Amino acid sequence: MPRNETVQDLQLDEYKYDFVTDAEPVYRARKGLSEEVVREISAYKEEPEWMLNSRLKALQVYESKPMPTWGGNLSELDAVLDEIYFYVRPQDRMEHSWEDVPEEIKDTFEKLGIPEAERKVLAGVGAQYESEMVYHSLREEWEKQGVIFDSIEDGLKNHPDLFREYFGTVIPTQDNKFAAMNAAVWSGGSFVYIPPGVHLDTPLQAYFRVNQERMGQFERTLIICDEGASAHYIEGCTAPVYSTESFHSGVIEIVVKKNARFRYTTIQNWSNNMYNLVTQRALVHEGANMEWLDGNLGSKLTMKYPSCYLVGEGAHGEILSVAYSGDGQHQDTGGKVIHAAPHTTSSIISKSISKGHGRSTYRGLCKVHEGAHHARSNVECDALLINNTSRTDTYPYIEIEENDANVGHEASVSKIGEEQLFYLTSRGISEEEAMAMIVRGFIEPIAKELPLEYAVELNRLIELEMEGSVG
Amino acid sequence: MTDSLFSKGVTEALNFSAVEHLCIGEPDWLRERREHAWALYEQTPMPTTKLEEWRYTDLRKKLQLDTLSLSQATVVPDNPTAWPKPLRKAMKEDRQASGHIVVIDGHVVHSDLEAELIAKGVILSSLHDAIEQHPNLVGNCLATEAVPPEEGKFAALNAALWSDGVFLYVPAEVQLNTPIRVTRWLSEAGVAQFGRVLILAENASRISYVDEILSDDFSEQTFASNAVEIIAKERAQVQYVSVQRLGRGAFYQSVQRTLAHGDATLDTLNVALGASVSRVDLNARLLGEGANSDMLGLYFGDEDQHFDFNTSQDHVSPHTASDLLYKGALDASSRAVFRGIIRVKPTAQRTNAYQTNRNLLLSGNARADSLPNLEIEADDVKCSHGATVGELDPDAKFYLMSRGLSRIQAERLVVLGFLGEVLSKLPLGGVVEKVTRVIEEKLSQH
Amino acid sequence: MSSWVRAAAVADCDVGTLKGVMVEGTPVVLANIEGDIFALQDECSHEEYPLSDGELDGEDLVCIYHGARFECATGRNKSLPAIRPVKSFAVQIQDDEIYIDLS
Repeated sequence: MPRNETVQDLQLDEYKYDFVTDAEPVYRARKGLSEEVVREISAYKEEPEWMLNSRLKALQVYESKPMPTWGGNLSELDAVLDEIYFYVRPQDRMEHSWEDVPEEIKDTFEKLGIPEAERKVLAGVGAQYESEMVYHSLREEWEKQGVIFDSIEDGLKNHPDLFREYFGTVIPTQDNKFAAMNAAVWSGGSFVYIPPGVHLDTPLQAYFRVNQERMGQFERTLIICDEGASAHYIEGCTAPVYSTESFHSGVIEIVVKKNARFRYTTIQNWSNNMYNLVTQRALVHEGANMEWLDGNLGSKLTMKYPSCYLVGEGAHGEILSVAYSGDGQHQDTGGKVIHAAPHTTSSIISKSISKGHGRSTYRGLCKVHEGAHHARSNVECDALLINNTSRTDTYPYIEIEENDANVGHEASVSKIGEEQLFYLTSRGISEEEAMAMIVRGFIEPIAKELPLEYAVELNRLIELEMEGSVG
Repeated sequence: MTDSLFSKGVTEALNFSAVEHLCIGEPDWLRERREHAWALYEQTPMPTTKLEEWRYTDLRKKLQLDTLSLSQATVVPDNPTAWPKPLRKAMKEDRQASGHIVVIDGHVVHSDLEAELIAKGVILSSLHDAIEQHPNLVGNCLATEAVPPEEGKFAALNAALWSDGVFLYVPAEVQLNTPIRVTRWLSEAGVAQFGRVLILAENASRISYVDEILSDDFSEQTFASNAVEIIAKERAQVQYVSVQRLGRGAFYQSVQRTLAHGDATLDTLNVALGASVSRVDLNARLLGEGANSDMLGLYFGDEDQHFDFNTSQDHVSPHTASDLLYKGALDASSRAVFRGIIRVKPTAQRTNAYQTNRNLLLSGNARADSLPNLEIEADDVKCSHGATVGELDPDAKFYLMSRGLSRIQAERLVVLGFLGEVLSKLPLGGVVEKVTRVIEEKLSQH
Repeated sequence: MSSWVRAAAVADCDVGTLKGVMVEGTPVVLANIEGDIFALQDECSHEEYPLSDGELDGEDLVCIYHGARFECATGRNKSLPAIRPVKSFAVQIQDDEIYIDLS
């Protein structure tokens, strides 16, 4: 079968989020990370003293931790960070009515396909622009039931006790270098509380947009899903394409209490100049269920391993991960499950597609602690390579301290089957379409879990990416 | 040769003067290599758990190199009646062989090879004799291409301090029908022993090589270091089997590298049953088009035994294949680490590479860590890996019990069946029975 | 059965600080919170690093390496990545000396 060895780089042309909005920020901190910037952020947010101290402490921790030497290439990151704006305040207050959002920013989100109409199928919507949430709203019926869906800043202001009880307990400042950085300069993100027994039947959705060049975005999200409650949170991320690097480092902490269910979906479609280094972790109590659905399609380098700490008997954790790496992209993603209680179960399914000079890495951990008897875990990783210039790696860690446990890991690497291609093309389907079909089939187990608009988006992306991949 | 080496005497500690002592009477090129290796050893920091490859074996806790001295053992005569009983017993269990080597406390005390093979140009001898008689052949390959001292701290230490070893050379087209059997015995406690193996199989030759290392239990920590270099030229077929049955107190460390040229088949089997700590680094290089390596491993841990396997499968040429299967059972508070990596370079299209690690935990205190890794840079490949850690299959056990077996008998059979899969893939006469017997002995204490 | 062993002098452990000591082969971290002394095993339950390298935050000890938080009075784990408590020892002060119960 003839193969096109000079794959066109369609990605830049086709990245539909590549537009810039001309909206003047009301404030922009000076470039780089410093104590001054940290103090400014805290002052702008009118924070209590403990939070300022916690930020300053985190800055010290960040500076004391070495740059990771594993994962993706971070050798240029220090230089990039010196040029980054760590805090850009787009407007002075957050709106709860879409009409009140400034026209230019509203425009941006309309262009991203987040019109008011769409909000009708959602329980709540949040939108972050640069460093701040510019909009947050929750349907009245849920508000009445005690659901909290706020910006993280309002969470701290309006629910200080709840906030302080959980903040930093799932992902402490010292956890890793970028968690420390986030703890120092966090801004934006959501604060979510679902009261016991409340079932949100439609998702909460948050959009993250970086507009300005050399921007650093550091959202912080804290979610508490109380006993027997259930909810689904979706985040989407985009940015324009600049010639300089941008930086995104979020921290997402989730507590899933007894018998609760929570699903967190990410569709990350940052532009190809974005470093995306995110820490996401859930603490999963007795009988509770946590699902991470993680789609990484954009960014220059993503390092992100959503994790589930199964600390209560019968807790269940699930990670579904799909990654696409095109030219110049490295998706270093995966998941971690830590079994720390009996009868806990988990599953990780990871699918990656690497094209052109793209590189996809699965990195994961399955740990069964002593005493977590009857733990069961299954990990499956499949990697698809589209070209002979692409690369894939699989680095699973399996650590088992309990004999009454069953843990399995399977991974495979393959290219698009020539037999499959031949079969489809012999039926009059063009080779590009055939490849897109095969790739769609490959990621189908994950795509079918996505909300419809994201599934459509994913399919569209695959079709675009497969164009020009064959001769 | 061995006698004269010993008569020089050696200093006690592992230091540069020990290297100098070993060099006496050796050719200059060898002295240079030893000195270079020692310099590298001194420059290289001791691996810590911060290094990915040593993440689960903490040498600070497991190995006290500075308390060890170099072996001072006298050379035992080439007469079986003077050899330790367990060694003779181990040899008796071996079936037919094309030749034998016996190594006692680091000295080659016996070697024999069928006359017909000698006539065909096959060489089986101590490394020291080979260096004297075939300096070019040995000089080209010893600690150069396969396990150079640059390989790491332990490879450097071994290259500087090896006392003796085995050299096997098989000329082109010569095919051995029965294995070469090497039996190595260690008796001294508190010492460090450094042995090497160099196997060179020319085009279209065929050999099997079975190495067994054994000892009683040691009262103090004893360090047995091994460096294995195997080169299979085009279309050669090589089988290498290592059976480690050292006593408790032993720290066994083996660096092995296999180089398979075009259409060569180079299979290995590492059986780890003994020692307190056992660390095997095995790197299989598929250098030539059509090269193939099956890599098998089997381990059974009890008490507080610690096994650590670090394997890699390097595919650099097209149409190469490798298939790794490591299986182990862990009882009491024993622990196993398997870290394996398949690397497929962009030049290695149409590669098939597989890697499987399966662990059976027989006790609540046993522990297994498994890290099967892939790094794939070619697209037209078939690569997969799998790892499992689990308990004894209850269905199989209950089935056997329903057939009238006791619980203990049923468990033993299930474990033997589980591990037997590995042996059935390389069914060398003598090895299967011997390994099965030792596993049964260990199981009887379960 | 209790076995009281001297761990350090009160003067060795200033208010608001931690001190690591070896008591009969057991690593122990002493914490002085506003004059009250607490003793925990000096080994984080997460990755076995010494807790005495960490710092006090109110009633808690925070491991400097990955941020695991433990209640000084009980050893209870209060944040990830720790999923287990650390051992805590009873403390007695006599004649300005700190004694702990290793049993």
